[in-house]
Amino acid sequence: MRTRLAPWLTLGVPTVFLVALFVLPLLSMLVLSVWRTENYHIVQDWNLRNYWVLATDGAYATFLLRSIAMATAVSVICTAIAWPVAYGITLYGGRYKLLLTLGFAVPFLTGEVLRVIALQGLLGPVGLVNGVLMSLGAAPLRAIMYTNVASAIGLVYLYLPIVVTVIYLSLLNFDQRLLDAAKIFGASPARAFFEIAWPLNLFGTLIGFALCFIPCLSATLAPRFLGGPNGTLYGMAMAQQFGESGTWALGAAMGVVLFALSIAAVFVAFRTVDLRRTGFTGFGRG
Amino acid sequence: MRFRPGKIALIAAVVVSYLFLYLPIVHIGLASLSRNSSFPYPPHWSFATMSRLLGNSLYQTALGNSLLLGVLVATLSTALAGAATIGLMRHAGRKTTLFLALFIAPLFVAEVLLGISSLIFSGLFLGLQGNLGSAVLANVVHCFSYALLIMATQLYRYDWRLDDAAMVFGATPARTFFEVTLPLIWPGLLGAFIVTFIMAFNNLEISFYLLGATPTLPSVAWGALRYGVKPELYALATCVNLVVLCVLAVMFVLMRTGLATFGHRPERERAAV
Repeated sequence: MRTRLAPWLTLGVPTVFLVALFVLPLLSMLVLSVWRTENYHIVQDWNLRNYWVLATDGAYATFLLRSIAMATAVSVICTAIAWPVAYGITLYGGRYKLLLTLGFAVPFLTGEVLRVIALQGLLGPVGLVNGVLMSLGAAPLRAIMYTNVASAIGLVYLYLPIVVTVIYLSLLNFDQRLLDAAKIFGASPARAFFEIAWPLNLFGTLIGFALCFIPCLSATLAPRFLGGPNGTLYGMAMAQQFGESGTWALGAAMGVVLFALSIAAVFVAFRTVDLRRTGFTGFGRG
Repeated sequence: MRFRPGKIALIAAVVVSYLFLYLPIVHIGLASLSRNSSFPYPPHWSFATMSRLLGNSLYQTALGNSLLLGVLVATLSTALAGAATIGLMRHAGRKTTLFLALFIAPLFVAEVLLGISSLIFSGLFLGLQGNLGSAVLANVVHCFSYALLIMATQLYRYDWRLDDAAMVFGATPARTFFEVTLPLIWPGLLGAFIVTFIMAFNNLEISFYLLGATPTLPSVAWGALRYGVKPELYALATCVNLVVLCVLAVMFVLMRTGLATFGHRPERERAAV
């Protein structure tokens, strides 16, 4: 039975691990979402009242819409910035390509809390931007102090590195001789980009978009410190159910809503494009 | 050389993004090393903040816990992801897509959701108290997928005929793994280990819900942040930034000198621009 041991060890163990610690917790969240919490105790009666509250209470609907708008805007901005950056690095980075890409990974790897602290240093009332403005004798910029704009800048700052890295990796696997071929046949750089580079890297772009959209949708840290009184996002409200208010069941229902939304977003994104025409080469078949 | 607006625009985009990413980091670095911490231009150098941070016993305990968490998570997730990558490429057959979908699914679930669902599962359904162990397990779920991606890029080009050759000459699967496969793939494993270590070390959104009363650096920083930003927090962020910068610099030097590739394939470099 020696030949059967390797597949079990290499595929079975990770599968069991993920089912036990990833799938089961998500299922338990689903179960908890149809129970209810009363005076910090869980009451096991099966109904959909939590979802009814979420659907009818205007505040939660506002938070959700605001979160979706914020996540969409931030992901679009990140993709729009990341593409020229990654494209610029692959085209003109030369021998420093790797260094330039690693440079983008440094901020990503220093942790969300510490980066929020750094952002406070940039945007806060006594931060860099307002400090410069005030030392020049100008009025401080109110738009970036505890507003949704500040949250958006913060989220772009937090997730730009990963979008750049993903698009760069996609471009690395993309055969750039195709661009050279296009230029030899007389295509302008812009045309080569729109007809070759963009469609063939659409899959990587979608992954980057999803990896920005999903965490933004349930962002808790950045809006809490950078957003103002009108900046409560859905993820933040959800975290509060598990902290201050102690209404775990309602929080679980919010978690299910967020999870369903993320899955729906990914599903829609990957259904609208034909994967085989977007540079998706499968896995391990090279 | 003729004027190329496209080239200039692309390079400008790179430079501006770098400024955007690094300005806050440099700013708080200067702020943590000077007496006039709120607007350090020009800085009046002083190490008072740094020494206050380093002398604080709460931060020392937290640092120890964070290091332990990072090492455990990195070891577990690298080992699991290494096994999973080999399994996907060698043994999955027609079920590759199915397994791959399960293995990278955690990437598409937000960290805070992983934290909350693990809290519900272990705290409510299993009735366990949160501690470092539960935080490690929950973090491994998230880091596993990242480690898998890093190793997949490295092993994508691995020539499995080498393994077959070893087996043909009578090596057992275990011996083949330790004498052929492992020596060839260790840079990928090391890369995955470093990245997952850094991720777990800095994680708050998963760990926060599972740590119980155990302090780690991010949770202590988060607690302090609620009472306003203090210069010590700038100093803490600066220290972590410096360490990460050093680690990546070492990785870069290793890659440049050809000692390790970490999934980077120089032969794919462009021949001509």
